[in-house]
Amino acid sequence: MSLPRSNYDPRRVCLNPFPEFTLGKHRRTIGVYLAGALFALANWTFLDAAILSAHAHSPWGQPDTPPPVHVTFVDWIPGICSLLGYLVINMIDKDRIRGEEGFGDSRAVWRARLFLFIGFALMAGGLAGSVTVLVLKYVLNEYPEQFTYYGYANVSQSVALMLSAIVLWIAQNTSNEYEYNLTL
Amino acid sequence: MAAGLRTVILLSFVLALGFLLIILSCALWSNWLPLIVALTFVLAPLPNALFAHCGSDEFSSNYEGSGPVDLGRFITSMIVVTGFALPIVLAHSDVIDPKACAMSIAGGGLVYGTILAYSAAFKQEDSDYD
Repeated sequence: MSLPRSNYDPRRVCLNPFPEFTLGKHRRTIGVYLAGALFALANWTFLDAAILSAHAHSPWGQPDTPPPVHVTFVDWIPGICSLLGYLVINMIDKDRIRGEEGFGDSRAVWRARLFLFIGFALMAGGLAGSVTVLVLKYVLNEYPEQFTYYGYANVSQSVALMLSAIVLWIAQNTSNEYEYNLTL
Repeated sequence: MAAGLRTVILLSFVLALGFLLIILSCALWSNWLPLIVALTFVLAPLPNALFAHCGSDEFSSNYEGSGPVDLGRFITSMIVVTGFALPIVLAHSDVIDPKACAMSIAGGGLVYGTILAYSAAFKQEDSDYD
């Protein structure tokens, strides 16, 4: 029986592969700053579309016709879903999901995983919803490019929110230099 | 101390220049919305300063902060990006002039750079005495 010693519980089917990065001293700080910047950028991209729509001009070359489409509440829904998912993901204690022994009962771990799943599902739903809005509301109706921009802004908001969540997740899971020096 | 005095005077000049640019960007087009940029950049270091002492006491010499410090950094970076994005958005939807947008961004950058440089210089002086 010369099986290699595994450092995880072999009875568990679903493992969370937490990436154990060992980066420089300031990587965590940089990651958190970057995540905040991406978060603000995402929301400003969509708010730009909303403000632009509120001050919308008529299409280029036809000064008499009113703008054919506006940003309505339908456009806000994917962004709100993504934001809720972002909040849910970042409010979970990361040690709970890891499921280490002696960290509360197993039901707490189970609940944390459920909430994590809900968070990711909300974010993915936001992305899918934004693509849906882009296709159904803007692309299929063949508006000029000036108005299709609203849909693209919506999609890029969801994508940037996801990127921000990923950066924040990685930044908070990096083991710091101090531990690294200890184990060396 | 003379170098510190010179730094303070230089930084105050830069700060005044930044506020001048922002106020000019408002007054030349008589549209006072870019003034929000000044407010944003003044508010930007506030969350960091508030949450900096939450993370660790002086006994645990742990540089890597915990949740509250991260939250402060997150909010700070959000506010800074807001300060740069707001004039661009306003200029994009023709609320303010593009030139006013450029001027207010430059002024806001100067103001925030002054705050950063001042805190950095102050911190360095502080550690010299330790």
